[in-house]
Amino acid sequence: MGLDIRIPLGLIFLIIGGIMTVFGFVTRHSGIYERSLDVNLNLGWGLVMFLFGLTMYLVGRRQKWQDDPVNPRPWEKRARN
Amino acid sequence: MTLSIIDWLIMLVYFAFVLGIGFALKRFMRTSNDFFLAGRSIPAWVCGLAFISANLGAQEVIGMGASGAKYGINTSHFYWIGAIPAMIFVGIFMMPFYYGSKARSVPEYLRMRFDEKTRAVNAFSFAIMTVLSSGISMYAMALLIQTLGLFHGIIPDQYIFHVSVFLSAIIVLAYIFLGGLTSAIYNEVLQFFLIVAGFAPLVWIGLRNVGGWQGIKHTLPASMTHSWRGMAHANTNTLGVEWIGLSMGLGFVLSFGYWCTDFLVIQRAMAADSEVSARRVPLIAAIPKMFFPFLVILPGLIAVSISSKVITPEQKILSAPTSAAGAISAPSSTVAPSAVAASSASSSEALDNSHPHGIVPLKTNPLNGQPVTDSKGNPVYNYDLAIPVLLLYYFPTGILGLGLTALLASFMSGMAGNVTAFNTVWTYDIYQAYINKRATDAHYLWMGRMATIGGILLSIAAAYAATSFNNIMDALQLVFSFVNAPLFATFLLGMFWKRTTGHAAFTGLLSGTAAALIHHGLSLPVDAAPGIHGGWITPLHYYASDMAQNFWTAIFAFSVNLLVTIAVSLVTRPRQDHELVGLVYSLTPKPIENHLSWYQKPSTLAYVVLAMLVVLNLVFA
Repeated sequence: MGLDIRIPLGLIFLIIGGIMTVFGFVTRHSGIYERSLDVNLNLGWGLVMFLFGLTMYLVGRRQKWQDDPVNPRPWEKRARN
Repeated sequence: MTLSIIDWLIMLVYFAFVLGIGFALKRFMRTSNDFFLAGRSIPAWVCGLAFISANLGAQEVIGMGASGAKYGINTSHFYWIGAIPAMIFVGIFMMPFYYGSKARSVPEYLRMRFDEKTRAVNAFSFAIMTVLSSGISMYAMALLIQTLGLFHGIIPDQYIFHVSVFLSAIIVLAYIFLGGLTSAIYNEVLQFFLIVAGFAPLVWIGLRNVGGWQGIKHTLPASMTHSWRGMAHANTNTLGVEWIGLSMGLGFVLSFGYWCTDFLVIQRAMAADSEVSARRVPLIAAIPKMFFPFLVILPGLIAVSISSKVITPEQKILSAPTSAAGAISAPSSTVAPSAVAASSASSSEALDNSHPHGIVPLKTNPLNGQPVTDSKGNPVYNYDLAIPVLLLYYFPTGILGLGLTALLASFMSGMAGNVTAFNTVWTYDIYQAYINKRATDAHYLWMGRMATIGGILLSIAAAYAATSFNNIMDALQLVFSFVNAPLFATFLLGMFWKRTTGHAAFTGLLSGTAAALIHHGLSLPVDAAPGIHGGWITPLHYYASDMAQNFWTAIFAFSVNLLVTIAVSLVTRPRQDHELVGLVYSLTPKPIENHLSWYQKPSTLAYVVLAMLVVLNLVFA
């Protein structure tokens, strides 16, 4: 298909990770983290997700695995192997 | 439970992407091939992730967490014994026939290999089954949303169930209607990563709290933290199954029957861009699948390890801002591993009393809010809530939104997988085969979209049927397990013995199902009354648990199908060899792999997966 899945996948992680990172940074001294044993899960995990999203997005932008798969089909292009 | 704007925002982003993918893919849906088979153009790793994600529905996440909390780490047999070997087999040996025969669905392969009537049996039973499973998924999701009070204060309580059903139905409908199988596969990949992202920090923080795996081992009875201990006899392990039933029933018949013949998963591999890719799909899928017990079963164990204190719903674990830091686990004084081993007759009750329940809440009647008790007056625990409760227990605002998104994503992927499999089987194997044989491709594409709407409407009906006739749904699922149990024998003989005939396959399938039915009628789990649990003819044999009964039903169904199919094949006329090229192992040229380096070959990947599987089993033995 013409859409590389890594682009939307990267974007959703960039956005959700970004939201969590910013929110985690703003609330870094807040009492809400008592629940998670005083670990700021939003900041830490948000950053991890953001970086994962960035990697996926950049890789997806750089290599398009197929230009137009509709015509011809992969099995029409070459003999089945 | 109250959610903040941040939690809602994260869930909203997810739903925007789900629908966005559908819209983005709409312009690529030009032929029925694009819609039903994703144009056979998807790379192996994408199909591989979709392959496990389609299976990672509600029953999986909620059910495995619940079993983890109830039985312990031996629930991982459902992955390590009950999935990986079959996934390797389908990738290495069976995929060349599914993909290479150019069949567009599993029932269509059956028509090419056998005949029309064998295809019809498989197509109709499969179509009905997918719609019902999707309905059950929808029902479970709406029930969970209602129980957690997700929309509490936004929508009047009595409408929450209906709103949840219709909202999920509309979203799944929209993205499949627009983008077909590609859209479902892309969303499944998204769901896969979200489930990992949502559950991994939960397991991490949970393990930190209970003192790691060593802490869990310390708190829980040994039978819950060893996957193979006590498997020699049904009464000495929490599952109530002995190793023969486990390895033959679950590990061979049921698991191969599901992973090697169920079009829901095979469809994902058939969308791959080449035969080599298609063969790699289940193998790639096997690697994350192997580690899923740590994401879905471990939370169940953590939930019961947190503390041995019984928490009733009145204590409002769901809404109270409990300080998790204060709940460092104390080893339970009631832990008595020997109690589990000693309990022979009433294994499930002894189990309930002898192991801690942590934060798993009591089961309440949804109608009057009263706690549910069993026949002896003991409280019943709602293990299905193990994972949702754990999310609420540890996750602060923000990441809580992510955790709930992961949970919702798993429900959606289960539904979407069923709906895409349904619309394909309906259009190709029922509509095109029996209703309208010679229509244009554009007509079948249109029919696929209509089938999507029809499938969703039937799922909604099934979801509502589940609310009012719970037993009817159980009975239907039971009947389908009888239809599925013998299936693998038919495929095994069909693919690897060229003598197998169509008449034989058809009679074999029917007699296998009949055998399952009779076995169920003659056997009974020890603690059940005759009826829906079995023994409705006359109970001749008692099993230690319904799981054991289920596994042995499958073993009988498989064996009878195998024997009948062989016997009938020998007395009926086989097809000519040249008609079976590409459909049977001995008559099909072996896949040429000379152009691949050793590390690119599917078999190398298979050996790696097998080695990892052995190591995992040894570590948790």
